Amino acid sequence: MFKETPITNETETVIGPSVKVEGDFVTEGNVIVEGMICGTIKTSRNLKVGPKSKIFANVFAENALISGEIQGNVKVNDRLEITSTGKIFGDIKVGTLIVAAGSILTGKCQMGTAKEKSLKPDFSKQGKIDLKSELPANKELEKIENKPLKKK
Amino acid sequence: MYYYLYDSKLNDKKYNNIIAQIETRLTDLGINGKINRLSFLKNINQILTEEVKRGVKTIIIVGDDKTVGQVINLIADFNITVGIIPIGPDNNIAKLLGLPMEAAACDILASRIIKKIDLGRINNYYFLTSLEIGGRNITLDCDKNYLINLVDGNNIINISNLNNCYNIISSPIDGKLDVFIENVQKKIFRKNKSTLSYFKNNTIYVTGDKTIPIFLSDERKIIKTPANITIVPKKLKLIVGKKRYF
Repeated sequence: MFKETPITNETETVIGPSVKVEGDFVTEGNVIVEGMICGTIKTSRNLKVGPKSKIFANVFAENALISGEIQGNVKVNDRLEITSTGKIFGDIKVGTLIVAAGSILTGKCQMGTAKEKSLKPDFSKQGKIDLKSELPANKELEKIENKPLKKK
Repeated sequence: MYYYLYDSKLNDKKYNNIIAQIETRLTDLGINGKINRLSFLKNINQILTEEVKRGVKTIIIVGDDKTVGQVINLIADFNITVGIIPIGPDNNIAKLLGLPMEAAACDILASRIIKKIDLGRINNYYFLTSLEIGGRNITLDCDKNYLINLVDGNNIINISNLNNCYNIISSPIDGKLDVFIENVQKKIFRKNKSTLSYFKNNTIYVTGDKTIPIFLSDERKIIKTPANITIVPKKLKLIVGKKRYF
């Protein structure tokens, strides 16, 4: 997905290292960030943050590859990959998280979706089971005990 | 009804042969019409307004990129179809529109593939291809949502509607302007380092700490900052070829 990132028609935005963006940056295409952003980034597709980039913003994306620094909360619907040079100072909420050795993540982390959470069984409503009376082996034992012994 | 606008350069003797070939081909195809030669003395705007009132539906520009840029700014507000017969060395627009040179373009005009394309507008001045801004300390206010600050190095900003800049084709039918920012950092005894940024926007407001000239590629005209640049979607009906870039 992120191997080589030449500017193609699919790449809608490239923020180069000489550029500083301030404000709410909202787009529907792939975004590559190599420079600095202050504010908010929101994309419905992929986001790539280069190793020298600095983001002081809340980030929303479908997939993200973080090699630079983010100071703000990150919400990624599908896959978030933090490489060894990546730093996130903020809370993250992701579908799938991949963290490389050497990366920094400071903040709360929430992975997966609410659907994946299994339901807690409610034991309080369940009636008590009388193990002695219910087991068939116990009943047979009772029968044997009640039988009179045959005289020879 | 066709109306032909010839560039003033075509009065030169070296173009006589080409003009004769074009006129013969147009007569063969049955799309010949009234011819008007542009010159400094004529008020093109007034002539065009009168011709449109008389019922001209199609205007064919015979010339190069500069002629196209000049005429398109004047006819953008009329509801007419525009065709191009490219003659001369600078014909990048015709190439992007898939139009062959000189007499071969007449066949494309006859086939009439019409596309409604977007036009860029800078301070009430229309442009078809692109404009260039160069300098330091430039701020671009994009879509009134975010600011792009360019501080370091020497920046070349190219705002394109129809172009083939940095091997990326700017489509004139997507309703957006492509903004390319090339930052060049000069280094002594080493190669200059350049980086590229790329955005897509509808409106851009350009300001600088001092007045910066904006160079219009179509017409080689200079406009100064602050400038408001917008895109006007589907503004112009243009005859294009099958080999167009978009």
